[in-house]
Amino acid sequence: MTWHVDDDDLRAYGRGELASPALWSADTHLTACAPCRERLAGFTDPAAVDLGWARLDAELDAPRRGPVESLLVRLGVPDHVARLLTATPVLRRSWLGAVVCVLLTTVLATDTVRAGAEPTLFLALAPLLPLVGVALSFGPALDPAHEMAVVAPMHGFRLLMIRTVAVLATAIGLDLLATLALPSFGLIALAWLLPALALTATALALTSRLGPVLAPVLTGGGWLTLLVVAQVKAGAAGTLAPFSAAGQGVAAAVTALACGLLFLARDRFDRLQTFSV
Amino acid sequence: MTHETTHENDIPDQECRMTTPTVSATGLSLSYGGTRALDDVALRLSAGVTGLLGPNGAGKTTLLRVLATAVPADRGAFTVLGHDPADAAGRQSVRRALGYLPQTPGFHPDFTAFEFVDYVAILKERTDRGARHREVRRVLDQVGLADARGKRIKKLSGGMRQRVALAAALVGDPGFVVLDEPTVGLDPEQRMRFRELIAQAGEGRTVLLSTHQTEDVAMLCHRVLVMAGGRVRFDGTPADLTDRAAGRVWSSAERDPGARAGWRTGTGTFRNLGDPPPGADLLPPTLEDGYLLTLDEADTAVTA
Repeated sequence: MTWHVDDDDLRAYGRGELASPALWSADTHLTACAPCRERLAGFTDPAAVDLGWARLDAELDAPRRGPVESLLVRLGVPDHVARLLTATPVLRRSWLGAVVCVLLTTVLATDTVRAGAEPTLFLALAPLLPLVGVALSFGPALDPAHEMAVVAPMHGFRLLMIRTVAVLATAIGLDLLATLALPSFGLIALAWLLPALALTATALALTSRLGPVLAPVLTGGGWLTLLVVAQVKAGAAGTLAPFSAAGQGVAAAVTALACGLLFLARDRFDRLQTFSV
Repeated sequence: MTHETTHENDIPDQECRMTTPTVSATGLSLSYGGTRALDDVALRLSAGVTGLLGPNGAGKTTLLRVLATAVPADRGAFTVLGHDPADAAGRQSVRRALGYLPQTPGFHPDFTAFEFVDYVAILKERTDRGARHREVRRVLDQVGLADARGKRIKKLSGGMRQRVALAAALVGDPGFVVLDEPTVGLDPEQRMRFRELIAQAGEGRTVLLSTHQTEDVAMLCHRVLVMAGGRVRFDGTPADLTDRAAGRVWSSAERDPGARAGWRTGTGTFRNLGDPPPGADLLPPTLEDGYLLTLDEADTAVTA
């Protein structure tokens, strides 16, 4: 060995402040030179070493992130929130694939049939996808660890909101992409958005009273019934009431009201809703 | 020392003085669908493993879910380590001190053991990644799954899955651990290993263990509660429960019609429980004998 790392460089190396290319030289040299490693130990704060080992342990133990979790972290979602979201069944590839298939089929059918000036079939179906997605993201039926989650210190409503925002963003994003495939209908092709928010918020508000199965079923059934009644009233060529300006206003009002009721009922999501002796 | 029903006044003063209760409950009642699942239950739990015995439908799971703050009681009150879960802040304090292994713990099947416990640790407010991973590794080591932490849960045996669930319950070193029939479905070897883990978990903390296995209670518990019909019918030590059958177990060549219960044993003779006839061939009682007689008396009391 013809040279050794000088004291100042070793101190800087120990503090993690040595800049390249001196850092590269020191790295290479320390690998082969036991005396310099011993001198480095004398310059290094034991607490910093412990911290370094702890960080290394954490990285070695860290499970490999899946594609969805990696994407979320890259988008700036905190690590622990991303992990919570990976346990959301409807954010899995199988569910997303099913949604894409349904949307593609609906868009093709809407474009092919062209029964009127509005893409009625698409507008009827698109609000149901976020509703179903959110309904399937919380509750004992599809969350196998629901009972453990309920008694955890994290408030059930917070977990519900984290999952709801993620599922809504995904479902609405896919709906928007599908809307882009129907450019000939103009802005009316976006008339599903407010009903989607209204249905989702209503179902969540009702879940606090009716449970995670009955509430979305009744909400979805109510939406389809409303559309049938609106179709009968509008006749063959008219715009269905839910997609008119007034209907959009009503959807916005229902969304606001349901969000308010949901907030008031937030503590109900902090308990089990069904149980046995 | 025997107790027909459990009320605060029934708890021996000496025991109250010697130990500070982790859990203190009075008058817990809960009805649903016309069924009284809990009926005026009062109890005090202190450090160590307390067994909770009772037949199906006795109210064991309901009691555990109430104490774990999963469902609220209709009436009554309880505290865990001094925290009252009646309001949201108190409930959160209780949950921070709680470890809970439900009767049928569910897992996200695509998670590895590490990922699942990590997920539960996040629900327990462990947001710092490094500290959380150290804690996950600690509890997985504690339940003997250090080498299996990277395995997917769907590929683990039933016993290993139960250990994953126990590890999740132990995240954060909770002062009060609720275990709902954790040994169900395990083979004898797995059950023995799990008992060791429960015994370790009971060192320095309060564990409430619901079980159908009287052997679990005999081997693990310093105290036992027997529930039937939503009420606590016995509260004492396992030795006290065994003593309830002292002088009330006898053998006979044929089933004794005067016995409250009886069954043919492997030797061909009948083992009878109840009030023995004069000159009966008395047998030493077991914990199970005491348990069965307690249930029988509870049933008689309800019928009367």
